[in-house]
Amino acid sequence: MSLPLSKRELAGFIVAAIGLCILMPLLNAGGVVDNFTLNTWGKYLCYALLAISVDLLWGYTGLLSLGQALFFSLGGYMMGMYLMLMIGDLGVYARSGQNPNLLPDFMVFLGHTHLPAFWKPFFSLPFAILMVFVVPGVLAYIFGYLAFRSRIKGVYFSILTQALTYGAALMFFRNDMIMGGNNGFTDFRFIAGADVRSPEVKRTLYIVTAVIVCLVYLGCKWLTTTKFGLVQRAVRDSETRVLFSGYAAANYKLFVFVLSAIIASIGGALFVPQVGIINPSEMTTERSLEAVVWVAVGGRGTLIGPILGAIGINALKSWATRAYPDLWLIILGGMFVLVVLFMPKGIVGLPAQFKALWRRIRPPAAEPAPLPEATPAAVVPAETPAAK
Amino acid sequence: MISNRFIRPFGLLAAAWLTWSAVAMGAALAPADQEIRDTVSQAIVTLDSDEQSALVRGLAAQSAPLSLRLLTQWKEGGLHIYETPEGERIPVVLNADLDGEETQSAVRLADLEPLQDEAGRPVRLLVADLEVAETDSALRRAMKDVADMAALSDPDPNRRRKAAQDIGLDQNPDKLATLQAVQEKEADRAVRRGLEEAIAFVQLRSETPADRVAACATLGRLGSIPSQDALKTVQAEAAAAGDAELEAAATAALADIASHLTVVNTVGTLFRGLSSGSILLVAAIGLAITFGLMGVINMAHGELIVVGAYTTYIVQNIFGAGMQLSPFGFTFQLPGMNAAGSAYQLYFAAAIPLSFLTAALVGIALERSVIRFLYKRPLESLLATWGVSLVMQQLFRLTFGANNVQVDSPAWLSGNWTVNDVLFGWNRVFVIAFAALIIFLTWAALNKTPLGLLIRAVMQNREMAACMGVKTEKVNMLTFGFGSGLAGLAGAFLSQIGNVGPGLGQDYIVDAFMTVVVGGVGNIFGTVISALGIGMLNQSLQQILGNPVLGKILVLGAIILFLQWRPAGIFVTRSRSLES
Repeated sequence: MSLPLSKRELAGFIVAAIGLCILMPLLNAGGVVDNFTLNTWGKYLCYALLAISVDLLWGYTGLLSLGQALFFSLGGYMMGMYLMLMIGDLGVYARSGQNPNLLPDFMVFLGHTHLPAFWKPFFSLPFAILMVFVVPGVLAYIFGYLAFRSRIKGVYFSILTQALTYGAALMFFRNDMIMGGNNGFTDFRFIAGADVRSPEVKRTLYIVTAVIVCLVYLGCKWLTTTKFGLVQRAVRDSETRVLFSGYAAANYKLFVFVLSAIIASIGGALFVPQVGIINPSEMTTERSLEAVVWVAVGGRGTLIGPILGAIGINALKSWATRAYPDLWLIILGGMFVLVVLFMPKGIVGLPAQFKALWRRIRPPAAEPAPLPEATPAAVVPAETPAAK
Repeated sequence: MISNRFIRPFGLLAAAWLTWSAVAMGAALAPADQEIRDTVSQAIVTLDSDEQSALVRGLAAQSAPLSLRLLTQWKEGGLHIYETPEGERIPVVLNADLDGEETQSAVRLADLEPLQDEAGRPVRLLVADLEVAETDSALRRAMKDVADMAALSDPDPNRRRKAAQDIGLDQNPDKLATLQAVQEKEADRAVRRGLEEAIAFVQLRSETPADRVAACATLGRLGSIPSQDALKTVQAEAAAAGDAELEAAATAALADIASHLTVVNTVGTLFRGLSSGSILLVAAIGLAITFGLMGVINMAHGELIVVGAYTTYIVQNIFGAGMQLSPFGFTFQLPGMNAAGSAYQLYFAAAIPLSFLTAALVGIALERSVIRFLYKRPLESLLATWGVSLVMQQLFRLTFGANNVQVDSPAWLSGNWTVNDVLFGWNRVFVIAFAALIIFLTWAALNKTPLGLLIRAVMQNREMAACMGVKTEKVNMLTFGFGSGLAGLAGAFLSQIGNVGPGLGQDYIVDAFMTVVVGGVGNIFGTVISALGIGMLNQSLQQILGNPVLGKILVLGAIILFLQWRPAGIFVTRSRSLES
């Protein structure tokens, strides 16, 4: 098997991978990049995983899932359960001697005296990591099986995933779910015996995240260039023809759906120890849609686009929510409208768009943001059908 | 004669009333009133407790509002006894004209004549010098009886029924004769029923076993919910005493009541289901047009609802004291009309068409600027309109503040009817009627107007409609405007039953989409059925599980499973097109 990258892509990938996985941590250890920045980048890279999962579904298979934030949080919750149990006797209740069984604080607060059975295996990190794969995978399999079997597609799929996410969030908000309710999990102390707040552990987590992002990128790149990837895109462009050609489109979609659920879940599992909190507000449709914005801005149907979009928009968000807190949502929403209307291929597609524009209006310099071909294409059939 | 100078708008209301009646009628009191006043005055100065009670009970025969008022005043320590230098004790009512020396003038309780000394000058009294007309427990019981009797002859049937209920709950055998006497004269059916219940209630404590059995049977037949505890006591007592007949009667009565309760709960749940289904319907009907007919996924639909709600809020303020808005640091003032009373209540009537118009205009602007480029790309219209919804939410927050604003419901929306123990709140009835009206208007607009014809033509076959000379662009715009206007109506309507805030739309958007998808896209009637179905299911599950959130989660699950069975919703629009 040869690498699915062209020479230029390979060079770019190697430079980026060295920069992210080796150079950044080294600079951090040397004190050039401060801990906060490194941690922020770790967060961005987790979001990049979420964005890749959205793109794999939306950009490559034509399925706009509004449930990716759910899978992301589920991964986070699995890791969070392990981290909660690792707090041990450092919790508030344990220190005041009211917590003999060393339950997580919120359980004591709710009046539990014993650890619920489904929590017990989470003392083991390998089990928690296994669950990061299994729980979202199984949920995605069941939901996807039901949805694709009855050929729910297009916007119906989006609306159903939206309902799934909404229902799950409602469930996690409940206290008798014993998953922390409204407040979720926080105040983590140890991961694999090391202090989760120390710069060394944070650096390690960052390196793990960066390496996983690179691996997922490579894996997805490979997948999309195989015959599988070809069928995947064929499903996106015309599902009926794929069906008529004898492919079980539902199985392809199901596989992609489960795979992207797991990628999102890994992102969430890495996100929680770095950020230090997970609660049901991460699980909303808005979060999923935000991830869709990253993909749309970065450029869907490419793998580098979502990563660029996730990092770029989150960096912009970090800056704008501090500089213009009132305007951030307007910026985000406005950007979304503009990208959908005028930049269907996102940042990655901009060079091609400009090139096309350059060819149309050769001698004078291009205007900054003129109407692209999308506008006439949509308007013409509506206005001049009589001419056909 | 007491001059107006003594009348103040404050102080003891009753005293003021007495003063007023003196002014109005002078010394010539009506004979009936005079008799009551005499009796009360006499009772106050009587020293023997039994005699006092007997006098007070005598008032029950009169049962005029005046006796009730005087007795209440007495009980609350509002009557005083003035002892003249000659040793005569006179019950008096103090006037609310306290002067610098803490003294007040007074009138005699018996004839409302001002208290004067021999020289004819008003006597100024110090409260501390006077004896308060006191009451003991026997007297208070007598007063309560009089009050009960008065309540039983109240002109308002609801109060009479309530009074009968209260008397029954005391289970005092002494009241039996009174209740029976009143029942014979009572004309109102509901009150007679209440009296019957009260009598049966009292009879439960009867000495005669046959009466107790009969009382059980009556309570069971009436389905008397409040009597359950008493019946359980009777049941236990009968079991202890070995009275098999009474025990059986009590058990049967309890079973009857339980089945009545089931009916009441079921009807109540159905009614609430109908009203919450109507809320869904109103929120989703606009979406049934824009999404169902036009195929546009408008995630900003919720925000169009909010536009309607805030329009109602603004109209309310314009009818009221006006308001000040300061978006982006600019401040502008909306003048108020300072309407009051029923003119103010009318604001809602004005707000309804304005909400429709405002939301329709916003919708048309949205269609012209964003959506018309995306008719061929439904997924992208979802994304772009979501962006619009974010922008709009933030604009609401900047204009009206992040907190909920107060929208007053007109007075005619608060209150309720109770029919056979089932509570029908007026606002819920209004919800249902409003939803029915909107559905009818939408149906009429689509099926009975020229525009409706064009809309249906364009939605069925755009090219063919264009060939026939229909301006499809314009029809798209108007259809979207119509759907958005309906969202605005929903906003005006939701402002009456819940909070109005920037996030209001988000609460309804998922449910609204679900409703339209389940109903079958492109079918208004399907939306109606699915909204009512989801509303009923939601309320029934809440009733069964006793937990709203769990009910909601189950409903979402049920919807996902339902779409397995019928992926295109309840009503499928059949088409020969492969990709539809």
